[in-house]
Amino acid sequence: MLSAALLFKDALYGALIISVVCAALGVYVVLRRIVFVGAAIAQLSSMGIALALFMSGMGWLTGMTAHPVAFSLAFAMAGAVFFGLGGGARAGVPPDATIGVTYAVAAALGILLISKAASGEAHDIFLQGNILGITRGDVWVLLGVSIPVLLIHLVFYKEFLFVSFDRETARTLGYNVTWWNLLLYFTLGVVIAFAMQFAGVMLVFNFLVLPAVTGMLVARSMQGIFVVALVAAVIAAFVGFSLSVPFDLPSGPAIIAVSGVLALLGSGARRLQRR
Amino acid sequence: MTALITFDHATLGYGRRVVLSDLTFDIPEGDFLGLVGPNGAGKTTILRAILGSLDPLQGSVSITPGLRFGYVPQRDSVDYNFPLKVVDVVLMGRYDRVGLGRRPTAKDRALACTALEHVGILDLAERPLNALSGGQKQRALIARALVGDPTVLILDEPTNGMDLVSTTQILGLVRELHERDNLTVLMVSHALNEVANYVNRIALVVERGFRIGTVGEIMTEQTLSHMYGIPVDVDEMHGHRIVVARRNGQQVVGARPHA
Repeated sequence: MLSAALLFKDALYGALIISVVCAALGVYVVLRRIVFVGAAIAQLSSMGIALALFMSGMGWLTGMTAHPVAFSLAFAMAGAVFFGLGGGARAGVPPDATIGVTYAVAAALGILLISKAASGEAHDIFLQGNILGITRGDVWVLLGVSIPVLLIHLVFYKEFLFVSFDRETARTLGYNVTWWNLLLYFTLGVVIAFAMQFAGVMLVFNFLVLPAVTGMLVARSMQGIFVVALVAAVIAAFVGFSLSVPFDLPSGPAIIAVSGVLALLGSGARRLQRR
Repeated sequence: MTALITFDHATLGYGRRVVLSDLTFDIPEGDFLGLVGPNGAGKTTILRAILGSLDPLQGSVSITPGLRFGYVPQRDSVDYNFPLKVVDVVLMGRYDRVGLGRRPTAKDRALACTALEHVGILDLAERPLNALSGGQKQRALIARALVGDPTVLILDEPTNGMDLVSTTQILGLVRELHERDNLTVLMVSHALNEVANYVNRIALVVERGFRIGTVGEIMTEQTLSHMYGIPVDVDEMHGHRIVVARRNGQQVVGARPHA
């Protein structure tokens, strides 16, 4: 099973990198209750990819559309800034409704665009990503994006924690809460945009949510949640990917299924702890 | 005594909406001031002006240079979803001194423990904050405000949602901190009866109305009836002042319209 998976070494490395960086950011996504902001940004990002594929098929702006990640990044960053600044609150729309509108419209527009894209495999890539298509070059790109993001979160852990836990008090101690929130959402947008083109909406959303939930179920401290989330994400990526190759299963759903099993095990462990 | 915070004909509001106009008062060093009024009257607006997050529309709000605020937010504004130990929450009060991107030192941790001892919950230092009772959480948040060595302690609705015992203990603790450490305290609350028996002065904020004075000056039937717009009685029991609105009270003639 492992030997079959190692035939796609670069794909496995790519999946592992995506799992680690998404799971680390996912701890904030889950604890701050912005799970559906993550989903909406992922959907915006996928709409960017769909637009690039559509324009490429139409022969428009061929120089730019050869790099769908540029479109993915632009849409993800627009979403990150919008939600980071409190998205729609000033217009009197409840935050969850704004997220819902963004998600629904971005998903619908993405599907409309992809349905008219000329590329035959575009539809599958849009829905499921294309983990098996990850090349050695993609692995380096993913590392180049993930390492700075993880370093930012490691160095400024205290600042991100403070503005997430108690923004009012952080403000009185001189923290620019808006700026720190924007930086958090900015890193989230960058990671989602780069992960999206390989992993697809469903898998990126999985890595942002399920490992962190497993961490919350098992651990009792912030450090513990980060450690369990990262371990759960790596196990899910490795086991899911290794099972998908020999059994000819789509990699993304296989990884998500393993993440689900780990979350269930975490829930069981939580019940045992309570006894 | 030196004025630490001075409002000079300050008009406060948001955009074009004026919440309070022409406020002139100061908070001197060593004061224990209760900022009291119903929800929506403008207490938070005054608080924001003091904390520097709201500029006055007119006039000025002056803060003595070098003043450090120890802020205790409303208990529910903190996100208890985060599994943080009490001592780690208290350490946050020193984050601005620790510096950007740096980790708290053993000295910071020792100061956090001293602050916890000061508020009587050192034994809870390693417990998760979200496992504590309402009163214990409030003590932890007060310890966090104290660990930064503040000049002025500001508490926003510290007894909101608490039972009688916890309320009495928290207000007693704040009074003790004021007297023992000569700490200047500003306490925001909507509960006049609670605050009046612990503070030295009261700033009463009602819709578009503001009056400040000693407890004796504010806690009179005439002043309160005028400010709240309904007839009230002020009685005294065992040295405590108690305000009671008269049953079926009619609107007081010439009073401020009630919110």
